[in-house]
Amino acid sequence: MNATAEAAPDEAPKFNPTAYHVTKSDQGDILDIRNFNLWYDDVQALFDITMEVPRGLVTALIGPSGCGKSTLLRCINRMNDLIDEVRVDGRMAVDERDIYGKGVDVISLRKRMGMVFQKPNPFAMSIFENVVYPLRVDGVTDKSVLEDTCERALRGAALWEETKDRLKESGLSMSGGQQQRLCIARAIASDPEVLLMDEPASALDPIATAKIEELIDELRGQYSIVIVTHNMQQAARVSDNTAFMYLGRLIEFGHTETLFTNPKLKQTSDYISGRFG
Amino acid sequence: MSTNTETTSNHAEPKPGMNAASRRYTTDLTATGEPFLWGLGGALALGILLVVGFLVLIFWNGIATFWPKPIEVVTLNSGTVVAGEPTRDNVFKPGDGLLERLTEQDREIIDSNVGFAHRVLYRTGNYDLYNEDFRWVSDFEIAKVETPPGMYLFERQEWGVFIGRIAGLVLDGESRNLSDYDRAAIQEQQEAARERFEEIRHIERDEIGEVNYYMEQARLDLKRVALDHGRDSGEYRQAERETEQQITELQREYEQLAARAEAIKETDRRYRITLEEIGGEQKELPLSEIVRFYPANDLSPFGKAAVYFSRWGEFLTSEPREANTEGGVLPAIFGTVAMTLIMVVFVAPLGVITALYLREYAKQGRLVSIVRISVNNLAGVPSIVYGVFGLGFFAYTLGGGIDALFYPERLPSPTFGTGGILWASLTLALLTVPVVIVASEEALSAVPRSMREGSLACGASTWQTLRRVVLPRAMPGIMTGLILAMARGAGEVAPLMLVGVVKLAPELPVDGFFPYVHLERSFMHLGFHIFDVGFQSRNSEAGKPMVYVTTMLLLALIVLMNASAIYIRNRLKKRFAGSAF
Ligand SMILES: Nc1ncnc2c1ncn2[C@@H]1O[C@H](COP(=O)(O)OP(=O)(O)OP(=O)(O)O)[C@@H](O)[C@H]1O
Ligand SMILES: [Mg+2]
Repeated sequence: MNATAEAAPDEAPKFNPTAYHVTKSDQGDILDIRNFNLWYDDVQALFDITMEVPRGLVTALIGPSGCGKSTLLRCINRMNDLIDEVRVDGRMAVDERDIYGKGVDVISLRKRMGMVFQKPNPFAMSIFENVVYPLRVDGVTDKSVLEDTCERALRGAALWEETKDRLKESGLSMSGGQQQRLCIARAIASDPEVLLMDEPASALDPIATAKIEELIDELRGQYSIVIVTHNMQQAARVSDNTAFMYLGRLIEFGHTETLFTNPKLKQTSDYISGRFG
Repeated sequence: MSTNTETTSNHAEPKPGMNAASRRYTTDLTATGEPFLWGLGGALALGILLVVGFLVLIFWNGIATFWPKPIEVVTLNSGTVVAGEPTRDNVFKPGDGLLERLTEQDREIIDSNVGFAHRVLYRTGNYDLYNEDFRWVSDFEIAKVETPPGMYLFERQEWGVFIGRIAGLVLDGESRNLSDYDRAAIQEQQEAARERFEEIRHIERDEIGEVNYYMEQARLDLKRVALDHGRDSGEYRQAERETEQQITELQREYEQLAARAEAIKETDRRYRITLEEIGGEQKELPLSEIVRFYPANDLSPFGKAAVYFSRWGEFLTSEPREANTEGGVLPAIFGTVAMTLIMVVFVAPLGVITALYLREYAKQGRLVSIVRISVNNLAGVPSIVYGVFGLGFFAYTLGGGIDALFYPERLPSPTFGTGGILWASLTLALLTVPVVIVASEEALSAVPRSMREGSLACGASTWQTLRRVVLPRAMPGIMTGLILAMARGAGEVAPLMLVGVVKLAPELPVDGFFPYVHLERSFMHLGFHIFDVGFQSRNSEAGKPMVYVTTMLLLALIVLMNASAIYIRNRLKKRFAGSAF
């Protein structure tokens, strides 16, 4: 069919319909993805993804490098619009509203979601301005609102104690781990419904990673979190549900503990037992 | 360390079983690239040498120019006496006719120098008496060289320098005995006379100039009414009466001022000095004509330094005299800086907006590539072509249109319809905009994508992202482009000659008359000043020192403007220097 399929020559993958054993949330689903396909020019990167992401829970995306985790995550807030050659097909909805529908206001869509990137990317502004950036672009100028938001977001990102006395300093003057937590604070400042995280701890040391994991644990319930990770222990530690992707397809999506201890499919068990990937 | 060396040498020995003959551990000279490297290094050294040599030449001559030189009095074999500052010397080959007339001894000296003779160029001054400023004196002509005391150098308001002695002094109409007045006393009188001179000039130029300006304005207002309402209208007759009244008043004011000036002139005429050149010829002139004088051979180092700094002061703060070869260059400094700054005001938004559109909004395709190539090629168009374009489009078309619309009463004499500082700045902005566009595009594309994504993910629009995140980040690079543009623009001369630079601008583009900034006025420019003084003046030898000093000043000015821009850029850069990673 295409290059992606040929990449795995021997065990020509039999893609069963996705194995599904998701822990449902009592608040229903936040994201609904149906038969979603994506191409970079002519190369298909996502194949027929169908999944429902429960509201208020942490959903982890795992899978070998290049399987399309980042691509899928970036589809949710239409970050892929920045890449000219991307083409999509299928349905994706947040809270019953189409993401790729005609006349969708991309900007207000992105305002409902916060995103944390693999590498910390604070702006060359003060810590305070970094955190309240989403409000600034909304035109909020009320000082007390900004200050309250800043404190709430920094507390939420477990950064308040370290930074409360140096809010005027540049965001670039912090350590890598602090910068990543600053980016998390920025992502939650506008109180989004969904928090998208693409390997948020991959550039950090174990202590900073632990802090971020703790933080995710605390944010559970308030936000619906989708987190991409390479670290299976991390996925096991922080997530309620885990989606295993392979070669652009969703292989197994289910309750994290079940998926790691008793996977339904052989491909999943091969991957989590370290036989490939 | 030593054990290390041992190990290495052990390795170098051929191992048993290895075919030692087939492998030689030597390196071809060309393979290491050494000759090539030497070539590169040599080229760099040559380049540096040229630049340093150029700078040393300019700075040495520029700095030395104003230092007072001694005056030598040379008695020639013929009995003629020449007095002057030695300025430079060289060797030349005397012709056969000249050689025949020389003594046996002189011929031998010349023969021993393979036919060359040595000569010195003296600046004799006294152009009004000698009809030349300089004179070559060959070694074989000279009987005797002295530097006697009492030789003065006078810098005059007109006719350049006078070299000679003081022969007489008339103060307040009475001839004085010179022995009663030492140099300090004469200098005091001269300074007082100079103050009167300045006062006369102030009255004639500034105060009477103001009266003239309002008179002209009144006439123009009247003409305007005639154009708007016709000459037979009631408005016109009304305005005519008012104007006449106004003009009579101004006329009265003018007469008062003229009388005041005349009174001072009357006093001024009663203070005179008589100068005598070395041959005994005398010249009497008003004391106020003397700008500066000093006894060249009697000065202490401090006295010399005082003359030196006084000359620098005049150079930097006053207007030119004597067809620009003397006096100061203040109007040219002002013109250069003002033009460069106005140019930046135009070129910065134009270049940055173009770059923003090309890089951030335009769909990258064939058309954008063509535009980019064209912009790059614009940087290579000869600057005089921009000058012609500026004159044709800005001055004649745009300026002519503005005149017809807003200044019809002044026609046919143009206001904006001729070269001026505004059009010159716009022309230079066009000339330098490719540099800014290219540099800004580079700077924009160097902003990491993660920054844009971070901002967009927060729900910012493309414009907000540009303004708040991308532009500040790209600012240092954009500043670099502006600095390059400024350096290029400030040093450009050719196009300016067509669009507004003049040899001598009577008025600065900024003055006390409404609207205070007159962008339509022509102006002076240091680059053009160099050209004018060095190559267009009566005596290029006299202009030469000024060429060096003005060049030095222009270089210093460009360095200064760039240094301040670089300072600002580095402060901006600091904001982006993160500590993490
Ligand atoms: N901008 C792009 N243009 C073309 N192909 C791309 C682009 N970005 C990603 N791809 C391709 O899409 C596929 C999925 O990439 P993606 O970045 O989503 O992988 P990933 O699962 O996030 O991998 P990793 O764990 O290494 O980050 C890969 O085969 C990759 O080559
Ligand atoms: Mg990825």
